[in-house]
Amino acid sequence: MSFYFAIVGTKDNPIYEAEFGTSKQGGDGVARFREEQRSMNQFIVHSSLDIVEEVQWATPTMYMKCVDKFNNLQVSCFLTAGNIKFLLLHDQKADDAIRQFFTDVYDLYTKTLMNPFYEVDMRITSGVFDGKVKQAAKKYL
Amino acid sequence: MVILSLLILNKAGGLIFQRDFNEGLKKLSSNDYLVLAGTFHGVHAITSRISPVRNSGGGLEVLESDRFRMQCFQTLTGTKFLIFAEPNQPNIDVVVKRVYELYADYVMKNPFYQIEMPIRCEAFERNLVAYIKPK
Amino acid sequence: MSATKAARVGEDVWKTRIDKVNAELVTLTYGSIVAQLCRDFEGDYLEVNKQLEKMGYNIGLRLIEDFLAKTNMGKCANFRETAETIAKVGFKVFLNITPTVANWTTDNKQFSLIFEENPLADFVELPDDGRAQNELWYSNMLCGVLRGTLEMVQMQVDAHFASDILRGNEVTEMRVTLVRIIDDELPPGED
Repeated sequence: MSFYFAIVGTKDNPIYEAEFGTSKQGGDGVARFREEQRSMNQFIVHSSLDIVEEVQWATPTMYMKCVDKFNNLQVSCFLTAGNIKFLLLHDQKADDAIRQFFTDVYDLYTKTLMNPFYEVDMRITSGVFDGKVKQAAKKYL
Repeated sequence: MVILSLLILNKAGGLIFQRDFNEGLKKLSSNDYLVLAGTFHGVHAITSRISPVRNSGGGLEVLESDRFRMQCFQTLTGTKFLIFAEPNQPNIDVVVKRVYELYADYVMKNPFYQIEMPIRCEAFERNLVAYIKPK
Repeated sequence: MSATKAARVGEDVWKTRIDKVNAELVTLTYGSIVAQLCRDFEGDYLEVNKQLEKMGYNIGLRLIEDFLAKTNMGKCANFRETAETIAKVGFKVFLNITPTVANWTTDNKQFSLIFEENPLADFVELPDDGRAQNELWYSNMLCGVLRGTLEMVQMQVDAHFASDILRGNEVTEMRVTLVRIIDDELPPGED
């Protein structure tokens, strides 16, 4: 089971992306997308942004479970109060685990916002953030 | 608590604040107050040099007559607070400390107040009057 | 006064006579000051350091009266006492931290303040444009504050950071040097 995670800003600009595979049940944590599949990941995730924008006004919660499907892949979304979208592309259902993962990443994201040198919609290039996101992925996914 | 008046002198001995709290006092001209402040500053400097008490470090602290009692508090930064009170007034120390706190709050924390310049802070005067004459 | 007595005074004053404010408000306000200075000076981090120090100096000139009024401290007998007072009372009362005093030189004129925690720099990561890591001292305002406060009590000192956790060093260390005691100069004609 592989995951592609992206954070998209308020102007639909990508801020951060990462790939991981599941660490459960003998998985080794490495994403296994087929080569041509990989280049499609970004497109799939970004095309679901339209649906997110539609659905966001209907739901009162930050975690919108599965917003879009493409072939056998699903896109789940978490929308922050500042209109930043966390999108996760995955092939199996795992609502609870994904929600916990999103909550952890949200915590990391707010800490990034506290950095006075970081402006909203800036790309996140911090190695520390990257490491912690991968840790959270290992924990929940 | 009967405080008659308050004077504040800056590091150089210039008068930066003067206020009477009792209507019965004879009014001096503002020039007279400046001269009074400068004189006191000089006397304070001299007395700190000729003090018979070793290592006292400070100058004149209390001046008593049968009509009034004057107490001087010099901060470590060189600012002098002169309180004039009735002769039998106890606890002037407490009053002086409170006035120093009010000074540190309403004068020093006002970013538009220039240090060592005359004090024109309305909040300071308001709180001072409220503390000294709570009627 | 000894270190323990200073610590006790600091703790006492902190608990009873100080109004408290939300720490994140302080962190965010200080952070926006530094970030705005960096933007205004377009990456001239040495100039930003100087401006932070100047701002700290102006704060220090005024802060000393508040400190003296709240803590009722008397004169310190020597520079070692001054160092303990700064670390255990001063920083405790204003930032609720107690840096350690260390690395005294043999002539007792220089010491270091080692900061285990620095509330001004919580959550901060220096921009990685290659120069900030080597040129910017993020908490430089504290150096100015020390210079300003000590100048008002007749001590001329020089304070600068020797290392900073934000830069990747192991500890945040500020080096303070006593340059001279400023004796009151009598006005001309009075000696």
